[in-house]
Amino acid sequence: MASQVATSSSQVATVPSSLQTTTAASSTSLSLSPMSASPAKLSPDELELLAKLEEQNRLLETDSKSLRSVNGSRRNSVSSLVSSSSASSNLSHLEEDSWILWGRIVNEWEDFRKKNEKQLKDLVRKGIPHHFRAIVWQLLCDAQNMPIKDQYSELLKMTSPCEKLIRRDIARTYPEHDFFKEDSLGQEVLFNVMKAYSLVDREVGYCQGSAFIVGLLLMQMPEEEAFCVFVKLMQDYRLRELFKPSMAELGLCMYQFECMIQELLPDLHIHFQAQSFHTSMYASSWFLTIFLTSFPLSVATRIFDIFMLEGLEIVFRVGLAILQMNQAELIQLDMEGMLQYFQRVIPHQLESGPDKVILAAYNVKYNAKKMKKLEKEYTTIKTKEMEEQVEIKRLRTENRLLKQRIDTLEKESASLADRLIQGQVTRAQEAEETYLVMRELATVRQQSEEATAQLALAQSTIRDLQQRPLLKGIPRYTEESILQLERELVQARLKEAESQCALKEMQDKILDIEKRNTSLPDDTNVVRLQEELIAVKLREAEAVLGLKELRQQVRDLEEHWQRHLARTAGRWKDNPRKNAVSELQDELMSVRLREAEAQAELRETRQRMMELETQNQIHSNQLRRAEQEVRGFQERVTMLTAQNKGLHVQLQEIKRKQAEIECKNKEEVMAVRLREADNIAAMAELQQQISELEIQKEEGKVQGQLNNTDSSQYIRDLKDQIAELKHEIRCLKGQRGSSMSNQPAFDGIHIVNHYIPDDESYHSSDEDTGVGKTPSHLDHQHSSISRIRLHPSLGLGDTDSEGDDDGQGLVLSVPPNGTHKHTTV
Amino acid sequence: MEAIWLYQFRLIVIGDSTVGKSCLIRRFTEGRFTQVSDPTVGVDFFSRLVEIEPGKRIKLQIWDTAGQERFRSITRAYYRNSVGGLLLFDITNRRSFQNVYDWLEEARSHVQPHSIVFLLVGHKCDLEPQRQVTRQEAEKLAAAYGMRYVETSARDAINVEHAFTELTRDIFQLVRNGDINIQEGWEGVKSGFVPNVVHSSEEVTKSDRRCLC
Repeated sequence: MASQVATSSSQVATVPSSLQTTTAASSTSLSLSPMSASPAKLSPDELELLAKLEEQNRLLETDSKSLRSVNGSRRNSVSSLVSSSSASSNLSHLEEDSWILWGRIVNEWEDFRKKNEKQLKDLVRKGIPHHFRAIVWQLLCDAQNMPIKDQYSELLKMTSPCEKLIRRDIARTYPEHDFFKEDSLGQEVLFNVMKAYSLVDREVGYCQGSAFIVGLLLMQMPEEEAFCVFVKLMQDYRLRELFKPSMAELGLCMYQFECMIQELLPDLHIHFQAQSFHTSMYASSWFLTIFLTSFPLSVATRIFDIFMLEGLEIVFRVGLAILQMNQAELIQLDMEGMLQYFQRVIPHQLESGPDKVILAAYNVKYNAKKMKKLEKEYTTIKTKEMEEQVEIKRLRTENRLLKQRIDTLEKESASLADRLIQGQVTRAQEAEETYLVMRELATVRQQSEEATAQLALAQSTIRDLQQRPLLKGIPRYTEESILQLERELVQARLKEAESQCALKEMQDKILDIEKRNTSLPDDTNVVRLQEELIAVKLREAEAVLGLKELRQQVRDLEEHWQRHLARTAGRWKDNPRKNAVSELQDELMSVRLREAEAQAELRETRQRMMELETQNQIHSNQLRRAEQEVRGFQERVTMLTAQNKGLHVQLQEIKRKQAEIECKNKEEVMAVRLREADNIAAMAELQQQISELEIQKEEGKVQGQLNNTDSSQYIRDLKDQIAELKHEIRCLKGQRGSSMSNQPAFDGIHIVNHYIPDDESYHSSDEDTGVGKTPSHLDHQHSSISRIRLHPSLGLGDTDSEGDDDGQGLVLSVPPNGTHKHTTV
Repeated sequence: MEAIWLYQFRLIVIGDSTVGKSCLIRRFTEGRFTQVSDPTVGVDFFSRLVEIEPGKRIKLQIWDTAGQERFRSITRAYYRNSVGGLLLFDITNRRSFQNVYDWLEEARSHVQPHSIVFLLVGHKCDLEPQRQVTRQEAEKLAAAYGMRYVETSARDAINVEHAFTELTRDIFQLVRNGDINIQEGWEGVKSGFVPNVVHSSEEVTKSDRRCLC
């Protein structure tokens, strides 16, 4: 170190003329922000004065800082600055030399940097003098004359989305540093710079930790310059990458650092591994704040000097140097111990000064090529991880979708199972019904057989009846016989009508006859009446004879009378008395005559009366005969109507039986049609099921692409199912066809035939539903479950993971006896 | 201080930035309150011993995490080895309450195959006038995710001990019931009886040093 100082001083000696700065510059250099003034030439006297002023200034500064260090603040590291500055006061001439040297370097920056790169490096490693930091940092990062500087004031007028967060953090950045005390200028400018940057770089915005870097810059220079330097640091020193929202660069740094530990400190690495002590536990803040939050500020500032020249490499170097220096202690400690060691012991250790660490840091083998290689490795690892994550995400979403699909499928399968059960129930009901129908059918068949027998009997009777008039026995089928019977019926009805007509006519005739009968004499009594007539004629003849006799008598009497009259006529004149007697005698004679005449007349009337009586008797006899005849006719009519009625009844009986049979037949046909309709519906349902299953199969195929081994089994199951269902349908179709063809000629045998295949299909379907389907359903479930299980195992590579947790959001695990729940995540 | 502990539980404290995670932990582990504390860059570590029953001491290792979202790339590595967690939100900051679900999601997706017993903590309950989240809604949310809910204040030291000990008791119960098992290669729960150096809060305050990020 002494030799280095010597060389630098010799350099100063060789070029004294160039080390001339203006007093104006010296005065500005005393202030906190000396960079604004461009370094000018100074006379040696002025330089000396400047050095003295500087010395005073520094003493004052250390006073305040040491005061602060008593508070035990993190920034108590300033005490090391005290020691170094106190040392420098002892070696004030050396300090002076370095001043002169730095003044010259600053003056001829471009030239010096190009020509004396190594020397610059050495000088920076030794530390940039406090008052040159502002300008040198700006020069090192080439932050002068940045166009963005002009935008700064504009940026301050704008509002940033990060403002709130920045404001919250400002109070927490270097809270124990005077410059950043509450409501101080420091806080305001820090806020301004952070806000301005968040507006310039929207992607990064504001990142916690970056405020410490800006704070350090603001301790050295005004806000515009600090802003420019910060922009440069972000752009060119990997800081932007570190602070990006993804923080990928930090991960890379961790990885690189860990690899360095593994290579250079293998024992410690093994210990870290054993204690599961991750690099990020202690080193993330090293990288993010360039040790500013981890080490005393003086040490961190010195490291920051080097960082300005060399970039992040120094963080690796210093970090590794610290580990190297503390390896022996760290290896003794467990994770917690190590963490506390990093938190407490190491910062304390560094309070003695940064030189030892920096020296050690430069002895660390830092292989830039290796770092590049590691970067590549890391990026490949990361991209792989990213891909994996993408894959995991994809698989998760897929898994979720599959789960949803499984849910829907399960629902569907549940509904299908329900339908299956319903189908089975309906089938059972149908079977029962068919059984009943069968029984009915059997009875009906029996009845029909009886009926046919009866029909045959009836036919035979009809035939007999037909044979009777036709004298022919033609064997006929029942139908023909029915037709025949119908024809006969018609004929019979016609006949009946005819006979009724005839009956009426007859009745009319009877009435006529009856009417006539009253006037007609009795035939049977004719002979008697003739005899009577003869008798009467005889009597008449007798009466005529008697009459003749009487007339003879009358004539005799008349003659007698005449003679009497003639005799009496003469006498009368003679004797009136004699006349009167003769007259009386005459009168008597005429009365007697008249009496005889009356008697004859009486006899005649009696004769006539007798004749009439006989005639009457004859007539009544005739009437009696006619009546007898009518009665006979009537008897025949009643006999015929009775016969007709009998036939009629028989015919009706036959008709009724026929109607009954027809009715039964119709009922059977209807039942068959109903069943057929049911079967068609069932078939449609099954076809729908098939289509659903085919959809499922399609889905299964899709799933199968994802998951060949399991889904092929599943597809095979589905195919089997479909084949079975198709077979079933074919059976049903066959049934239907057969039932259709047999429908018109419906008979018992057909029913039996119909029923048997149905029963068979029933059994077969029962097999694949009751026996076969349930396991297949289970298989389906099994396969689906195995499919689900496979995904998490693919995605997570963790077979132990609770399947329930997957994709379910948050699952709550409740302690069995506890009264409170806990979130299991 | 030599102490025998029955179990060692590792806890993680999460929640939005500036809800007061570090302050709560400091209050619990160091017994003091700092008005301002550095934003946590990455993760921070604390530990303390708690006595849940007389003679039954549990050692808590507590990971303090950075709240800013971009630090999740670092912090998410710490979920896996944690058995319990305090999920903090600021009762005066509704946004931090709204993000509770995101934090749970974040934890859930990175904790597998293990699980974390969470305690929902409404922090800064001393700032009652500025309250933006009611106790009822917080309790409702906690119940929805099966968490306990506690309102704490690091400044006034309200419920700080209670929050940590209750969570510890719950985890202890789960461990004793066998719902949580000690596993090789998992740091969430470790069984002890081994005398071990424990830095109690007193010790920390006695020593003149602070935890550095």
